[in-house]
Amino acid sequence: MTQKSSGFFNWINTRLPIVNTYERHLSKHPVPKKVNFWYMFGALASVVLIIQIVSGIWLMFGYENTEEGAFASIEYIMRDIEYGWIIRYMHTTGASMFFAVVYLHMFRGLLYGSYHKPRELVWVFGMTIYLVMMAEGFLGYVLPYGQMSYWGAQVIISLFGAIPYIGESLEIWVRGDYYISGATISRFFALHVVALPLILIALVFMHLVALHEVGAGNPEGVDIEKHLDEDGVPLDSVPFFPYKVLNALVAIGIFGIVFSIIMFFFPEGGGYMLELANFEEANPLSTPEHIAPVWYYSPYYAMLRAVPDKLGGLVVMGAAIAILFVVPWLDRSKAASIRYKGILSKIAMTIFIVSWLMLAWLGTVPVTALRTTLSIIGTVIYFAFFLLMPIYTSIEKTKPVPDRL
Amino acid sequence: MEEKITTRRKVLIGMTSAVGAVGASFAAVPFIASWNPSAKAKAVGGPVKVDVSKMQIGQKIQVSWRKQPVFVIRHSKEALENLSKVESKLDDPSSLKIDEPYRDVNPTRSTSQEYTVIAGVCTHLGCAPKYYPEMESQPWDESWVGGFFCPCHGSMFDIVGRVFKGVPAPTNLKVPPHFFDGNILTIGEERGTA
Amino acid sequence: MKKILLVAFIFFSSQEALAAGGAPCGDYGECDTFKPKLNSIESLQLGAITFINHCYGCHSLKYSRWGRVAEDLDIPEEIFINNLVFGKNVKLGDRMTGSMKPAVSETWFGIAPPDLTLVTRLHGSDWVYTYLRTFYEDSSKPYGVNNMVYPGAAMPNVLASLQGQQILSCKDVPLIASNGGVRRDDFGNDITEEKCGFLKTIEGSGSLSVQEFDELIFNLVNFMTYIGEPSRSDRERMGWYAILFFVVFTALAYLLFREYQKDYH
Repeated sequence: MTQKSSGFFNWINTRLPIVNTYERHLSKHPVPKKVNFWYMFGALASVVLIIQIVSGIWLMFGYENTEEGAFASIEYIMRDIEYGWIIRYMHTTGASMFFAVVYLHMFRGLLYGSYHKPRELVWVFGMTIYLVMMAEGFLGYVLPYGQMSYWGAQVIISLFGAIPYIGESLEIWVRGDYYISGATISRFFALHVVALPLILIALVFMHLVALHEVGAGNPEGVDIEKHLDEDGVPLDSVPFFPYKVLNALVAIGIFGIVFSIIMFFFPEGGGYMLELANFEEANPLSTPEHIAPVWYYSPYYAMLRAVPDKLGGLVVMGAAIAILFVVPWLDRSKAASIRYKGILSKIAMTIFIVSWLMLAWLGTVPVTALRTTLSIIGTVIYFAFFLLMPIYTSIEKTKPVPDRL
Repeated sequence: MEEKITTRRKVLIGMTSAVGAVGASFAAVPFIASWNPSAKAKAVGGPVKVDVSKMQIGQKIQVSWRKQPVFVIRHSKEALENLSKVESKLDDPSSLKIDEPYRDVNPTRSTSQEYTVIAGVCTHLGCAPKYYPEMESQPWDESWVGGFFCPCHGSMFDIVGRVFKGVPAPTNLKVPPHFFDGNILTIGEERGTA
Repeated sequence: MKKILLVAFIFFSSQEALAAGGAPCGDYGECDTFKPKLNSIESLQLGAITFINHCYGCHSLKYSRWGRVAEDLDIPEEIFINNLVFGKNVKLGDRMTGSMKPAVSETWFGIAPPDLTLVTRLHGSDWVYTYLRTFYEDSSKPYGVNNMVYPGAAMPNVLASLQGQQILSCKDVPLIASNGGVRRDDFGNDITEEKCGFLKTIEGSGSLSVQEFDELIFNLVNFMTYIGEPSRSDRERMGWYAILFFVVFTALAYLLFREYQKDYH
């Protein structure tokens, strides 16, 4: 660096600590030297967030947030705006990819005990992000105002009606009307475009600040802070730039291949990402034969349908998400990573994965007696995985966790 | 960790950056192109056809094109012959100061010898000038030989839209692209473009 | 572990096969396969002609614009306007809003004929292709026809003059044994049973042969598939470039990553 440029940066840095911040949080930030592909999904999640914001802003150039114009404005974007179809598909593919990436990111957390002390708060912020994302996805899906937008909204808003005493008034309050209408669309639009993205960005920021305070974990569950060099930098770490940046770049490349395949060749995702019923404008007088949410809500939808009582279903669904928040306190294992946990945890994890995938599939198909039974079993397994965790993680025999990476 | 920038590293960094930059520029195309006028804008802003066969001599009609008024005037032979008489009052009689699409083709400034086609937008601040074709004394000009008078700030133009000296408007009224197919005038397009 | 998963998979698949639920193409069962040929300009042009001549009288294509169709189908503007656009004040930039007023059509048919711009995306091109070919005579219905794919459809069979009349007939069908072989009686003859619900075209009742009609419908549905998403062929073409780009990028990024990994591995 020449004298001039360092002088310039110095001038700025004494007034706004960008150089220090850049070095501390980006270029020189120590990361564990050996992580695997599971550790790439956080970076990918931020990439998708940016894709969603940019494509979302561009969609706003053509979208009409009124009852009369919403559906037609989507076709306007698809046909009349130059390359509008690219921007539309980028947004819908991005929405599904956002959840795919985040689910894998969360799974990494379960696999390697990323929520163990001192990272409990990182996990809690993460779960909050997940919750906000689910709301954001729901709100966004209503905006095209197709049949599935309308009837999906009808179903979800009627869940509020299950709450005793205040339920019905709450439904009207959420809708802004006695039935879903333009009032609902305009407020959902404002929430989806401004309110929730701002909250999401703030939460992501907190998530990263909390992470940087304690440093990232690793697949071995080793505490790299235990062994530092003379400068206080962990021995088993590498600076973020260029090593982790390059790692992330590979991940982004592979992600780009997957994203492009879906976006350019299967944008409807077989009807699981862009539900086919949504190619018809909302009709309050005609319910589609089969109302199902988009794939990323389906495990919870399966749970909701498994419970015969309306309020009960809502409570179970809420509890299923709420229980995720307290995992750091349910896991009593001495080992953070599944690699060093005992056989009970490994069996529990396997059963949980199979059961979750089954629930995800069940949420997408019409109800039958057998499927309801399976949904109940799946729900029970889901809760058992978490509720029994304090027990099976304490009684099992774990392998000794290594000291160094 | 020592970072040795070897040749291999330099080449790889260079190639990856180049490929990345190419990708980024292709990715930018839809975002930039989507700002262009959409098919709806082009449809609404598309050319307008007018049948001028029923127009009387000396009559001016007004047509809307791209949300602007366009004046079509059918001139008498005398009116066109008298154009030279007003030239001493004009600021830019040959329309040299502006982009004149059909310069020196016809005295009417259009592609027709009989009709004038001009934007009815005063080049001062955009009001619609009024048509006063009669050769009679007017409050704004005792020796008025016919033309346009803009009521907003008093700019004056002759019957083919050329601006007078000493008025607020700086230039002649604009001539939009157009062509005549017999009696059908198409405003907003050159002949042969589809 | 793998065995358990395999057993579970087989169990669930079998349950799925027995699950009750409407077949994708109604009484017809599985839809006939339709593979669009969006790059065949000839097919799209023929389909457009069929649509304008036989369908546009009742069904609008209100999200599509005339000019875009002319451009995508390589039809010069003059020819397009003279042959495909009926209506005095229709400009090429206008949308294809249809010929019938919804109030009128509701009186005639009980329901306004739906806009068809997105019908192939909503129901699938297979469905539309099958639907248009499975009208049959049914005197119990207001217009004398019913449809196998969409029983009770209010639409009359507008293409009857081309296809001819179809009736539901019964056929003697060989019985298939559980091992897949044909059941035979003691004399070696096939044992048959009467099965009904087969479509049969009455010979000579239409101006086109079965094959010609199928081709007409293919072109029509091809056009409707195009109208459902005009940018689809662009999308698929660009997709290859996008994937290629990312493959090249990933390869380079990987080499770069491994090169730097030497520093600490």
